[in-house]
Amino acid sequence: MRLLDGVRVFELGIAIASPNAGRLLAHQGAEVYKVESPTSPDVVRLIGSAWLRGDDGLAPAMPDSSPYVPEFNADKKSVAIDLKRSEGREAARRLLANCDVFLANYGARALAELGLDYESVRALRPDIVYVQLPGFGSDPEMPYYPYVAWGPNQAPLVGIDDLTGHADREPAGIATVAPPDYLASLHAAFCVLAGLEQRDRTGEGVHVDIAQFEATISLLGPFAMDHALTGHAQSRIGNRSLWYAPEGVYPCRGEERWIAISVVDDDAWDRLLTIAPPELAADDRFATNESRMDNVDALDEAMAGWTSAFNNVDLAARLQRVGVAAHIVATNEDILQDQHVMESGWYAVRPSARFTRDLFGGSPLRMSETPGRWDRGGPSSGEHTGEVLTGTAGLTEEEVEALLADGAAFTMDRPDLRIDRPYENWLHVLLPREAVDSRDLL
Amino acid sequence: MSGPFEGLRLIDLSGLAGAYGGRLFAALGAEVIKVEPPAGNPMRRMAPFVPGAGHPEASLWWAYLAMGTKSLVVDIESESDRARLGRLLAEADIVLDDHGPGVLDDRGLGYESIAASNPGVVWVSITPFGLSGPKRDWASSNLVAWAASGVLYAVGFDDQPPVVPGGPAQLGMHATALNAAVGAVLGLRGRRLIGRGQLVDLSLAEACLAISPETGLALFLDDRVHRARTGNRRTLSRPFGLYPCQDGYVSILVLMPRHWEAIAQWANEVCGNEAIIDPVFADMTVRGETMELVDSWVEELTMSMTLLEFFQEGQRRGIPITPVNTIETLRTDPHLAATGFWDTVELPTGGEVAIPGAPFRTNAQWWKLGRAPRLGEHTEELVATTDPAHGA
Repeated sequence: MRLLDGVRVFELGIAIASPNAGRLLAHQGAEVYKVESPTSPDVVRLIGSAWLRGDDGLAPAMPDSSPYVPEFNADKKSVAIDLKRSEGREAARRLLANCDVFLANYGARALAELGLDYESVRALRPDIVYVQLPGFGSDPEMPYYPYVAWGPNQAPLVGIDDLTGHADREPAGIATVAPPDYLASLHAAFCVLAGLEQRDRTGEGVHVDIAQFEATISLLGPFAMDHALTGHAQSRIGNRSLWYAPEGVYPCRGEERWIAISVVDDDAWDRLLTIAPPELAADDRFATNESRMDNVDALDEAMAGWTSAFNNVDLAARLQRVGVAAHIVATNEDILQDQHVMESGWYAVRPSARFTRDLFGGSPLRMSETPGRWDRGGPSSGEHTGEVLTGTAGLTEEEVEALLADGAAFTMDRPDLRIDRPYENWLHVLLPREAVDSRDLL
Repeated sequence: MSGPFEGLRLIDLSGLAGAYGGRLFAALGAEVIKVEPPAGNPMRRMAPFVPGAGHPEASLWWAYLAMGTKSLVVDIESESDRARLGRLLAEADIVLDDHGPGVLDDRGLGYESIAASNPGVVWVSITPFGLSGPKRDWASSNLVAWAASGVLYAVGFDDQPPVVPGGPAQLGMHATALNAAVGAVLGLRGRRLIGRGQLVDLSLAEACLAISPETGLALFLDDRVHRARTGNRRTLSRPFGLYPCQDGYVSILVLMPRHWEAIAQWANEVCGNEAIIDPVFADMTVRGETMELVDSWVEELTMSMTLLEFFQEGQRRGIPITPVNTIETLRTDPHLAATGFWDTVELPTGGEVAIPGAPFRTNAQWWKLGRAPRLGEHTEELVATTDPAHGA
């Protein structure tokens, strides 16, 4: 069994924040309905695979081809309904009446316009666990209520971009990843589960409004307090630590080969000295953590002088052998050769309707008694419309046919069009553990 | 009503890697007991500090993340203290533990020993690289966990070393702690459904790996493009990233067709740019292929006004545009002031300070947090209820 078997989740999710929460619930067995419309798709469906572009014959596969679809939507059921049409909204309401959880990161105003604000949903399902993640909260009286902010806007908005980068330069920001999206999704998963605990104990549902703006700032408490007490506004300091030195990313032998090292206290420094050149031990400026922090520029220079003579994989292993926290700054090419990651089974390969197989990352929660799993990759857009509307929502076959004929609901485009991922034929070389999992050979 | 975790007891044996999770449980009603060595939890030594105050009550990390918890001092070297901790763990609903593999087991206080007498316990083990695998004994830090995830490599400018996302904010630690909280609630549900607790094996490495899809392996294998550092803009399309205004930076994120139409129209109105409204640029792939040109047009627009003007007018036009805030500008943000987000809390050293309020709002009364405890503040109270000699 899985812990959320029988729990039904109605999800209106875009990109990462809500979809990543829904996917964690699916991992534990929840039936997650990804309600979406081809006329207003989840943006990740637009970020198709480069190798498919320009091939008009494969155009119907484009909305399903993004690697992000399985990454954030593994094992969900895609129900394609046009919520802008009254017939579509009615079908959604009938589905919702049979769900336990409502999860959305649509803007609060958009939800209200669709008649899917908390009060409206509660009228359909009184004990609903309703969790929304709007950028700025769901109170129409508040100044930024109608504003839009996506995941990658959040890091700059909440001060995290200002904290990211080297001190002598403009913010490097976090253009390539959006950590606030993932942190919001974890808040959402926590609130859904806490809400289910409350509901199962008391019979009462709950409305949780997670303004991503506020949720992410709540992770910066110590800096906000420091500013309030002293007027000091913490800003970026590269890779350095506020607490100890050395901590940094240092060059190693080769092009773009780096190592991250954290020497967290004097004991760790003494252990580092057992493999470091004697000059580091002899230098009085580096004798104690306090003196190392006072002389951090010289220290970093000395560290870089040492590390640059080494292969980064070898040096990381040597440092770890003496108990110093260190790791190569891994590229994807490195991760493919990382025995620890590959043996852990982090990457899963599962069948999907459009592809022979789909690849996606795992969950950090490894539970001894009730392990989670995903049986399938990401759903094709509209793949499960019929079965969910006639099943959970309780519509008749005729009603579903009418919705489809009318364009108020959609099914998967060209289900006969099945293609292989470019890596399909050599996946077993990269992921040997996965290749022996019989579910992959379906 | 009170929070959903009223009546539960969580024993927090962890430091920063579990702290935000313990804080969430405390806020939602659980009794959270921080077990500290006589020298105090490691967080107590972390700057920034309350000015003028000394160890062990000065750390603002402690003052914030330990809010609403109780402090019990336990000397692991003392046999009677170990026995006391054993009795406490034998009654615990949840344990957050960031000792490395085997450390507590060697003292008879690990999961196996405790679960033998307390089969309902939900034990969240937080380690650098997990309880098994070639790196199970490796050490870590926030920086090291990001380095292993593949994310660090892709953050920063290409002429400088990669740089940790969030810098000193320790986002990897908070991600780990949030996962710990999710795992703990799942474990509680499991206890109800299958009648026993379990071990949740959680690592810093995988908490950060879970934040890697945008730079990650599935994407790489699909397109075989080596992920390089691209500064503060993303190569996916444009405009996407940070852009300069007259007096600061803004973040612009245009992926959806309607957002592009709106910003192109705006540039046309303000700068008289006729080329930008050519329908060919409506395709985000085309904008990715012509990013220098598109960026120059967008910068012409952003540099024509102040940060505040660009933010407000951009939002009025429905485009995802936000300011690049600092800790200082956040504290005067008008929206946060209007929502009443900022709260105040008493410091362990006395006096009050402004803090970020609850990370979410609920229609039921869930969130409640008092100040962080002083070192050993609840030792006497907890000893009185756990020691058999006290006849509790």
